Amino acid sequence: MAVVLLPGLLATESGGQKRFEVEATTVGEALCALPVGDLVLDEHGELRSLVHVYVDGERTLDLAASVSATTQIRIVAAIAGG
Amino acid sequence: MGVLLLVGTRKGLFLIRGDDERRSFEVEGPLLPGWEVKHAIADPRDGSLYACANSWVYGGTVQRSTDMGKTWVRSEGLGLPEDSELKLASTWHLEPGHASQPGTLWLGGEPGVLFRTDDSGASWQVNEALLGHATRDRWSPGAGGLITHSITLDRDDPQLLWIGISAAGVFRSEDGGGSWQPRNQGTEACFFPEDRFPELGQCVHKVLAHPGRPGRLWQQNHCGVYRSDDGGDSWEALHQNGLPSEFGFGIALDPADPDTAFVVPEEGAENRVTCDGRLGIYRTTDAGESWELIVAEEPAWAAVLREGMSFDAEAVYVGAQSGHLYALRHGEVVRATEHLPPILSVEAAPLQ
Repeated sequence: MAVVLLPGLLATESGGQKRFEVEATTVGEALCALPVGDLVLDEHGELRSLVHVYVDGERTLDLAASVSATTQIRIVAAIAGG
Repeated sequence: MGVLLLVGTRKGLFLIRGDDERRSFEVEGPLLPGWEVKHAIADPRDGSLYACANSWVYGGTVQRSTDMGKTWVRSEGLGLPEDSELKLASTWHLEPGHASQPGTLWLGGEPGVLFRTDDSGASWQVNEALLGHATRDRWSPGAGGLITHSITLDRDDPQLLWIGISAAGVFRSEDGGGSWQPRNQGTEACFFPEDRFPELGQCVHKVLAHPGRPGRLWQQNHCGVYRSDDGGDSWEALHQNGLPSEFGFGIALDPADPDTAFVVPEEGAENRVTCDGRLGIYRTTDAGESWELIVAEEPAWAAVLREGMSFDAEAVYVGAQSGHLYALRHGEVVRATEHLPPILSVEAAPLQ
């Protein structure tokens, strides 16, 4: 179990829901469990390069990192575009 | 009948409704805020809206609405197989399937890929014949990437269709996408140092099959404007017949007259703005033997992208990256709206 917090556009794509509690043992599983998992991870299961993931306040690229019931995962969109 | 224009922009989708005379237009939007909409259509078979909604951060998607844009559903599972070692970078063009194939649509994307759905976008299957095409290693990306941007169907035969890929050229399938053959004879690859008329590698910018005359295709290319009367087996250059430049992106047709076409020439590949300090729409009514200038705006240094032109039985529509949208009807130009975000695509549908 982990808590995942979404930024605005992903929340819109999730029907307006910003906070999810998901069954997961790893960061990757937690992201996959989201209704917007395909926007966070690409079709090969890799983290999209401009999606930043913070686990309990620390940025991580390790999708295999363990999570627990108290883990908070925050997704942040990189500053990009124009 | 009025017109519904689906205008894709860098900042969402706009629905613009025009009256019977194409003189008065009402703007609704933006829909899909936060998404860059490279192309959107209204499926003439069931009225559904589909959009190629892209994000720098979250990649390329297809979204469908069955309530005129109030709510949208994103297609799931859209992507490329892992063994291809390719990833879907963006979605570019949606094309409704043949009238005899309800629920079927085609989708073009980057990197030079094609998908098909037979369940109205609930699931998409990659076209394996194009994904594994034997010539793929000879394709080169243009400024917009290696994109499948044109998909155009034969009026009568659902197995016959053409696609355009920048910069690989025009390909034709006679078996519903089971195989693809390059069809570029007579079109120039003016950016190549030596062989300028190769089998493939041409930078087609937009190819359209005329809906009223089977076998007639029109093409705006990086290196010219062309017409084919044999389904793409051969192409005739038309840009030395009065156009100020061979360069441009979009092309529009008249569904009632296969000899009529419209282009918006730009100065050239190194300066992609309309020629002569004005937004000039050039019309031919004699299959490209001659072209007539219709000035939409002056002064103007506009940039009209490959999906930035559309047409119906009444008018031609031109959207520029300046956010201006024009309707050309019976030789008269009306500014439909202005100050939209940069316009990426325009598609016309009957107003229900």
